[in-house]
This record gives sequence, C-alpha cells and structure tokens, in this order.
Amino acid sequence: MAKSDGGIRILQGLLVFGNVVIGMCGIALTAECIFFVSDPHGLYPLLEATENDDIYAAAWIGIFVGFALFVLSILGIVGVMKSNKTLLLVYIILMLITYAFEMASCITAATHRDFLTPNLFLKQMLERYKKSEPDNNNDKWMIDGVTDTWDKIMVQNQCCGVHGPSDWQEYMSAFRATHNDADYPWPHNCCVLDNQGSPTNLDGCKLGVPGYYNSNGCYDAISGPVNTQAWGVAWFGFAILCWTFFVLLGTMFFWSRIDY
Amino acid sequence: DPTLYTPVLSSLSLGGLTTTSTFVLDQPRCIFPDTLSDAVIWLVVAVPQGAAGFNNTLQPGSPERAYQLFPDSTSAYMTLNTTLLNYPCPKADGEIAVLRVGSETSCQRDNTRPTCNGPLPGPGPYRVKFVAWDNSGPVAETKWSDSISLKTATPWNNIPTTDRGHSAAMIALTSILTILFATLLAGLVAMLVCWGSDACGGSSTFSKPEAVTVQRYNTHHVYDHPPARL
Repeated sequence: MAKSDGGIRILQGLLVFGNVVIGMCGIALTAECIFFVSDPHGLYPLLEATENDDIYAAAWIGIFVGFALFVLSILGIVGVMKSNKTLLLVYIILMLITYAFEMASCITAATHRDFLTPNLFLKQMLERYKKSEPDNNNDKWMIDGVTDTWDKIMVQNQCCGVHGPSDWQEYMSAFRATHNDADYPWPHNCCVLDNQGSPTNLDGCKLGVPGYYNSNGCYDAISGPVNTQAWGVAWFGFAILCWTFFVLLGTMFFWSRIDY
Repeated sequence: DPTLYTPVLSSLSLGGLTTTSTFVLDQPRCIFPDTLSDAVIWLVVAVPQGAAGFNNTLQPGSPERAYQLFPDSTSAYMTLNTTLLNYPCPKADGEIAVLRVGSETSCQRDNTRPTCNGPLPGPGPYRVKFVAWDNSGPVAETKWSDSISLKTATPWNNIPTTDRGHSAAMIALTSILTILFATLLAGLVAMLVCWGSDACGGSSTFSKPEAVTVQRYNTHHVYDHPPARL
C-alpha cells in the first residue's frame, strides 16, 4: 500500500509540474503571437494582397490558445491536488478542444508558409505596385497597401524588386504602364536617397551605377520576418503540444486510478 | 584613327547597360584627331538593314535622318551631337565616360527636334557608329558596331506561382500531431468506457482503508471449574 501510494504521489507531483510548464508556455505563446500580430515589420499588406494571410490567422488562434492553456493548467493543478474525478474529466475534455485548435494553428502556419515563394511576391508587386486604375475599392485598398509597403521596404532595406532591379526590366508591370522605361528603368525608391527623400544622383541611378542605386533584391528582407513568424508559431506550438500530450496521458492514467 | 574604332557598349558594370528602350555606349575618347576640333561628332543609330546601305552624305537633322520617323520611314537617325571638347583625351581616372542612348523623353514626339535622343522604339537589334561633320560634309567616321539587342519584357501573367511543394517539415509536423491527437482521443474514449462500465481500477487503486477486524484471542482459558476436590 505504501509503495503504490508513493507512486501515486510521484505521479501527482509530475502532473502538477507538467501543468505549471504548460501554463508558462501558454503565456509565452500568447506573448509571441501578439508580437507577430502587431506586425513590427509592416509586411501584412503584402500578405493581405496575396490573399494568403493565413499565417496571421494562425497567430490569432495562438493568442487565444495560449491563454486557454494557462487557465486550464490552473484547473489541472487544482484537480490533481484534490484528486477530483469530475474536475479532471472537465480538464481533459477542455484540454483536448484546446489541443485541436492549437493543432489547426500549427498546421496552418506551416502549410501557408510554403505558399510564400519569391514568384508570389514578384507577381503581386508587378501587378499592383503603383497601378493607376483600380478595378474596385478592394483593389484600391490592396494597391495602396502594396505600394506603400514596397516603398518603405525598398528604402529601409536598400533593396529593389524581389530578385533585383532587373525584375522591372524583365517583366511588364502596372508601374511600367504609367512610367516610361527611359525615365524610370526602375522606381525611384530603388535609388540611393538623401535625407529629403530624393535620389542623390538620378542619372547615376538610371544608368545603374553601383553606389547610386540598390542592386540587391528585397526577397530576403521580406521572407526573413515572415518565415520567423510562421516557424515560430508552428514549432513552438508543436513543442507545447508534444509536452501537453504526455501530461494529458499522465492525467488520464491518474484519473483511472482514482476511486470515489 | 577613327576608321579603326568600333563603337561598343560600356565596359563598366552598369545595372542599366541595356534596358527595354535605352542602352549605354562608351564615349569615343581619344578616337578622333585634334585636327577635327571644329567638327561636330554625331551618333548614327540604325537598324541592321540601314547600316548596310547607309548614305553618309545625308545631313543630320534632315527629314531622312529624323528620330521621329525611325524606324518606319527611315532606317537610321542621327543624334547626340557634340564637339571634341566633350570627349577630352586622355580620360580622367574614375570618370564615368558613357553615352546613354535613349534618355531624352521630352522631345520624343516633337517633330521640330529631329535630332532628339529619344527612347528606342523596340528591342532592336541596332547598330551604331560615330560620324564627324563639318561645314563641308562628313570628314571622319568609325566602323559600325556589332548588333545591340535590348531587353524584352515578358507579361507577368506567365510567372508561375503554383510550383510550390510542401516542405518535409510541414508534412512531418502534420503527421506527428495527427497521431498524437488520435492517441489522446483513444485515451479519452477508453476513459469514458471505463467510467461507464466501472470495470477499471484493478488491484492497485488507492481508496479508503478497509475496516480492520481484530480477532480476540482468549489467552487465558477460563473454564467453569468444578468445585475443587478437597
């Protein structure tokens, strides 16, 4: 009797510890997802225009799941310490529901990250950057978002286009329709700008003299933060779910060993 | 000697060496002799057929050499006129000595400016040469350049965006999570079955202690002794 009692005590201790970890990870998940949703790099308009912004949906789900994990971990600790069968059953069922939501978030983040290839951003940039005739209000909203975001990215990261300034030469674009090639081989935001925002040497920029224009592409500056977000949500969530799996199995075993 | 010189695209690494409507040539430095310091040096831009039958006596600025009529009504035009002053010899170190052909957009449709350095009308190919003119006519010329082709822009609709595969990481993540979730659901079902049928528990359940029965032992046997025999 004494030995199995000790074994149960150890199991209780482990379950309480497991729930404490889940609670802390839940808070961390909420914080991480709030950080991503706040979009510190200002890349959301690009994703919105690709109509592929599900990694943001995954982050939103992550916020609520993290909070739910924290609350449920407290319930779990109380239930384990009181050895209360009803409380633990409620805990297990609610945890499984939260588990399902978090699974959805992880899989969504990982799947949609795979959609975000350079060609996707290239096509959207050519189609929408400085397009002059919007089809409708939604199109205008996306055009403004894409134009403002690209202007900001090109200046902040000293880059041009997705692969480089050659993108503007190799492909037709909405930009090219209103800006002729001789005056604008590439947008003026690809030029090295001075403090007032005008090119330091416009002729040098148009010629493509190194030092007067940005010769590298912006794909790394875009995909870096987006990848960090997608993998941050997906893998941290995956780690939490693996840990939660063991805690829930332990709780189920513990539950079946309680007698009224 | 100018007749030995072939005009060539700039040797510098320029991002805009050729675009869809412009190209960049090396300036003809140290090509024309100082005796021609009064002459005007023109650039001739022609389609390859125009280079073959080029009549260099036609005056620059004449209708047969107008930019605006190129290439439909004329096979060559003349532009970028300047004197030897702008091509000093020798070239200073670090100087970017180039000519951008096609940079003037303001006079593109201005028929009063037949010597406009307007954008090229198509991807080409084109051939160029330099000709020096003074009051008596053409006095020196270079060779024709090789064919210069410009860039062609493809429509953006042709960019494939569907060639994305699913990364191995995503597949692993999805399958592992699905297996874990299925295991947990199975566990939940087992629990509920247990609860309903009350068959689980086994021998090592912990519960309230059983009632202890204490057996009394009569250590002293007390008999009903018959009266002791005296």
